[in-house]
Amino acid sequence: MKKLRAVLIQAPLWIYFVISVYPLVWMISYSLKNNDEIFVTNPFGFPTHFRIENYTAAWSQFNIPRYFMNSFIVSSISTLLIIVLALMFSFAIARMRWKFRESVRLYMTIGMFMPLQVIMIPLAILVRDFHLTNTYGALIVPYVAIGLPFSCLIFYGFMKGIPGELEESACMDGANIYRMFIQIIVPVVTPAIATVAIFQFLSNWNEFMLAYILISDEAMKTLPLGLLFFQGQYSTDWGGMGAVMTIASLPMVIIYLFFSEQVENAMTVGSAVKG
Amino acid sequence: MNRYLSNKKAIALFLLPALLIYSVIIIYPVLQTVYRSFFNWDGLSTATWNGISNYRDLLEDPLLITSLRNGLLFALVLAVFQIGLGTVLALACADPRIKGRKLLKTSYFIPVVLSVTVVCQLWIAMYDPANGLINRLFNLLHIPYQQNWLTSPTVSIIAIAFVNAWQFMGYQFSLLYAGVKSIPEQYMEAATIDGCSKWMAHRKVTIPLMKETYKFCLIVAITSGIGAFVQMLIMTSGGPGTSNYTLTYMIYRYAFMESNYGYACAVSVVLVSLSLLATVIINKTFDRNEA
Repeated sequence: MKKLRAVLIQAPLWIYFVISVYPLVWMISYSLKNNDEIFVTNPFGFPTHFRIENYTAAWSQFNIPRYFMNSFIVSSISTLLIIVLALMFSFAIARMRWKFRESVRLYMTIGMFMPLQVIMIPLAILVRDFHLTNTYGALIVPYVAIGLPFSCLIFYGFMKGIPGELEESACMDGANIYRMFIQIIVPVVTPAIATVAIFQFLSNWNEFMLAYILISDEAMKTLPLGLLFFQGQYSTDWGGMGAVMTIASLPMVIIYLFFSEQVENAMTVGSAVKG
Repeated sequence: MNRYLSNKKAIALFLLPALLIYSVIIIYPVLQTVYRSFFNWDGLSTATWNGISNYRDLLEDPLLITSLRNGLLFALVLAVFQIGLGTVLALACADPRIKGRKLLKTSYFIPVVLSVTVVCQLWIAMYDPANGLINRLFNLLHIPYQQNWLTSPTVSIIAIAFVNAWQFMGYQFSLLYAGVKSIPEQYMEAATIDGCSKWMAHRKVTIPLMKETYKFCLIVAITSGIGAFVQMLIMTSGGPGTSNYTLTYMIYRYAFMESNYGYACAVSVVLVSLSLLATVIINKTFDRNEA
C-alpha cells in the first residue's frame, strides 16, 4: 500500500520528465539519422549507427561558424558591459551618500516593467539614425540597456548587505573612493557577479525579437536568427536541420548544467521584485 | 569617510554611463511611442498630427479582435498548463519520498535555456502531419485523431500556445517549487496530525500560503500571452491567413512591413496598457483576499 502510494506520487513527475526531455532526445537522434531512417525505417528509436556527416555538413555548408561567432561576440561584450555599468551604478546608489539616490533607483526599476514591444519601433529608428543598423552595436547597445535594471537590482541587494566597517577600514588605510570600489566592494560581490553574468549571457545568446528587427545582413546574424532561415531553405533535410539545432543548443545546455543553481536563483530573485 | 562617500565627481562618474544608456534606449523610446501614437508617420518624412484617430481606427480594425482573442487564449493555455500542472508537479516533487529530485528539476528547466527558435523549429518537426512525432504517436496508440496542427485555423493557436507552455514550464515550476519549499514543515505536520490527508493538507495549507508565488506566476502567464509573438512568427507567420495574429504581430506588421509607424505605436500603447492593467488587477485581487 505504501509502495503504491509512492508510485502514484512519482508517476506524474516521471511522465512529465519524458514529455520534457523526449522531444530533445528525438531532435538529437534524428540529427544522427538520414532521411530514410527518420521517415521510414526508424522514426522513434535511437539511430542505428551514428551519422556524423549531418554535423560536418551543417558546419561546412551552412553559415553556422559565422552565426556562432556573432552570437558569442554580441553576448559576451554586452554581458561584460552590463556587469561593469551595473556595478558602478549600484555602488553609487547603495554605498554612497547623496540626496536623490532613492529616486534614481526607482527610475532604473521602471525598466523591469516595460514590455520590450513598446520600445521596438523608436529603437529601430534610433539604431538607424545612429547608423548602427547591421553592426554589432545595433544589438550590443540595446542588450546592455535591457539588462541593466535587473542586474542593478541584484547588485544593489548584495551591496546593501555589506557592513560599513569594511569601507571604514579601507578609508583609514588611505584608499580613495575608486580603490574602495575596485578592491573592497567588487571582490565582495563576486557571487552576485557570477549570477548576473550567467543569466545575462543566456538571455543575450537567445534573444530573438530585437535581432530579427535590427539585423538583416547575413554576415551579422546571430544563431537564433540564422536558424530561422534554414526552415525554408533546407526543410527537406531533417538530419541536417537537427544537427544545426543541436549545435546551437549544446553550449547553452552545458552552461546551464554547470551553473543551474545560479540561473534558477536569478530567476527567483527577479520574481520577488515584479510580484 | 563621509567626504569620500559624497564625492560629487565620483557619484557622477559611477552613475552616468548606466543612466545615459538606459535613458536613451529604454525611457526615451517609451515616451516616443506614446507621443508618436498621435501622429500619422511613416518613419521617414515629417509626421503630421493625427489626434486620437489612430486609436479610433484601431477600434474598427478586425485584427484587434483576433489579436485580443488569441492573447487571451494563449494566456489561458499558459495559466492552466504551467500553473495547474506545475502545482501538481511541485507538490509531488517536494514530497520527501521522491528520489532523483535534482535530475527532475534540471530536466524540466532545460527547455527554458534553449533558444525560442530552436524550440519552434523542433515543434514544427514534431507537428509535421506526415512525419511528425505527434501524429505518429497517436497512430501508434490507436488514437484516431490526425491533425494538420499548424495549418488548421482553429487548432494552430492552441498548438502554438502549447509549445510556449512546454518551453517555459520549467521556469514556472521552479518558482512554484521554491514556493512550496518556503512553507515551514510544521504547518503540514500540524495539519496531518489533525487528521488531514496529505492532499487535503496541501489544498488547505500549502496552496493558500503560496499567494505571492501564484500572483507572480499569473502575471507572467497573462502578460506573456498578451505579448506573444515569436512563436507565431516562426511557426506560422501569423497564419493561416491572419488567424494567429497577436498585438505584437500587429505592431510588427504595421511598423516594419507597412511603414505605418504612428498606427503601430498606438497598438504598442494598447499592448502596454493591457499588460500593466492585468498586472494591477491581479495584484489588487490577490491583496484584497488578504483582508
